[in-house]
Amino acid sequence: MFKIMIIEDDPAVRDELALLLKNEGCRPITVTVFENIPTQVSECKPDLILLDLGLPGRDGLSLCAQLRRESDTPIIFVTSHDSAYDELNALSLGGDDYITKPYNVPVLLARIRSVLRRSGARPETLPHFNGLTLNPTKGYASANGQTAELTRNELQILACLMEHAGEIVSRADLIEALWDNQIYIDDNTLSVNMTRLRAKLEALGLSGFIKTRRGMGYQL
Amino acid sequence: MTITAFLSDRLRRLLFQAVSVLAAAVFLSATGTQTDILVLLLIIWAFLLAGIQIYDYFRCRAHLLELESIMDNLDEKYLFTECIPSPRSLYERRLFALVRRAGRSMLQTVSDAQTAGQEYREYVESFVHEIKAPITAAKLICRHVERETGRKLTKELSQIEAHVERALFYARLESPEKDFLIRQTSPARISADAVERHRSLLIQNGFRIETKDLDQTVYTDEKWAAFIFGQLLQNAARYRSESPLIAISAKQDGARVIVTVSDNGIGIPAHELPRVFDRGFTGSNGRCRGGSTGMGLYLCRRLADRMETELQISSEEGKGTTVTLIFPARSPHPA
Repeated sequence: MFKIMIIEDDPAVRDELALLLKNEGCRPITVTVFENIPTQVSECKPDLILLDLGLPGRDGLSLCAQLRRESDTPIIFVTSHDSAYDELNALSLGGDDYITKPYNVPVLLARIRSVLRRSGARPETLPHFNGLTLNPTKGYASANGQTAELTRNELQILACLMEHAGEIVSRADLIEALWDNQIYIDDNTLSVNMTRLRAKLEALGLSGFIKTRRGMGYQL
Repeated sequence: MTITAFLSDRLRRLLFQAVSVLAAAVFLSATGTQTDILVLLLIIWAFLLAGIQIYDYFRCRAHLLELESIMDNLDEKYLFTECIPSPRSLYERRLFALVRRAGRSMLQTVSDAQTAGQEYREYVESFVHEIKAPITAAKLICRHVERETGRKLTKELSQIEAHVERALFYARLESPEKDFLIRQTSPARISADAVERHRSLLIQNGFRIETKDLDQTVYTDEKWAAFIFGQLLQNAARYRSESPLIAISAKQDGARVIVTVSDNGIGIPAHELPRVFDRGFTGSNGRCRGGSTGMGLYLCRRLADRMETELQISSEEGKGTTVTLIFPARSPHPA
């Protein structure tokens, strides 16, 4: 389980963020006293730090510089200041990524995942459901001793459905999950990918693995 | 200043002198002065008078030219009275003192207005940054409510965000300092940033997005450019048609890169096209679909102007709208 430290002074954002990360299967650590932050960091040893640049009393950038000197924990800046100067400053001080408020939740989660992946944090446990195991980093799914290579989109669809196993996932939610930096999925693309994915699953002996719920979406 | 204008200005004084001299001549001839002497005196007088007038004319003209050149070289023209030499004659000095007092009072007013403007801009900027925290919190809370409601709320929150963002860029535009940063970037990065920011708007309206040849080098402020792209995406969403599409493509053209953002929306009537970049212009589409502020494209044009980026628009009613941005492909400060 990833330990993610949230350094954020707005209580509503902090609590909601902690809840969100908990639901995503991470262990959030919230900082409520904004003194001796470097000590708190070295005590908790988080896998990732979400650092708000607008902290009371001290400038987030100088804090980042100090944290950088003492540890190599990846840092994602979260800030409402989004001019090109701010971003340049932040990244030059050793931030791993920079995200501006108000962020889209899926975007934030995607950034967190990608920074964790880059920093080589421990691999997540492989998602599995009804005999099917998904290996997102290697890009295949396996069942009944057989494996099938999946494309990026197929992988994402399956991962999204497995995350909400048993629940109905609407097409809009799937499209939302598939949208990524410079890859824009529309309704037709989703249908095409879904058909291919089902064919691959069928080859693994899992016909009917993904059920269509007419007018509502898909369900495992 | 022409010589006739100069003389006509002194007409009263000259006439008075002429009348006095004539009266003196009549008096002298009546008291027995010889006519030749009288003529001689008159000629000498005429020469002297003409000489003085010519001297005065050139002196005045030189002085005015000097003042004009001081004015021309001043960046802040209202500082004129602070920069010119004090005049010599008593009357001019008094006039000058009065004008200078007026000028000082105006300077005070100007500087007060500048300070007030600056403070207001700073307030708007800090307000925008402050309000982003509750918007962020609200967006996170949306996850807990029922899906459809959550989606609708997220959409409304994104609208708030869009308005707030426009306020921020408006404040930045009015700021006299250059607070943008021209860096090397690519249309791919800019459009990815803009699309990411408008992702829920685009997904919910079922947009198809096509990108082509966006990996080019351009020099611009990424944030400002992404804001411009964002306005175009918002417009495309607001004035969309059935099965909406946005196509973004780029092509290199010598020292510049031409980026086009096209949609297949309802388009803009030809007679309204020249005014779409005007402040507050909403047009018939805006009136009929609602939600238009008339600020989006206005801000785009102002931002583009400041970054020396060209912005063009073309549209066909019922077919769609194409906005073209022309970015420099070379650094403005070569190494």
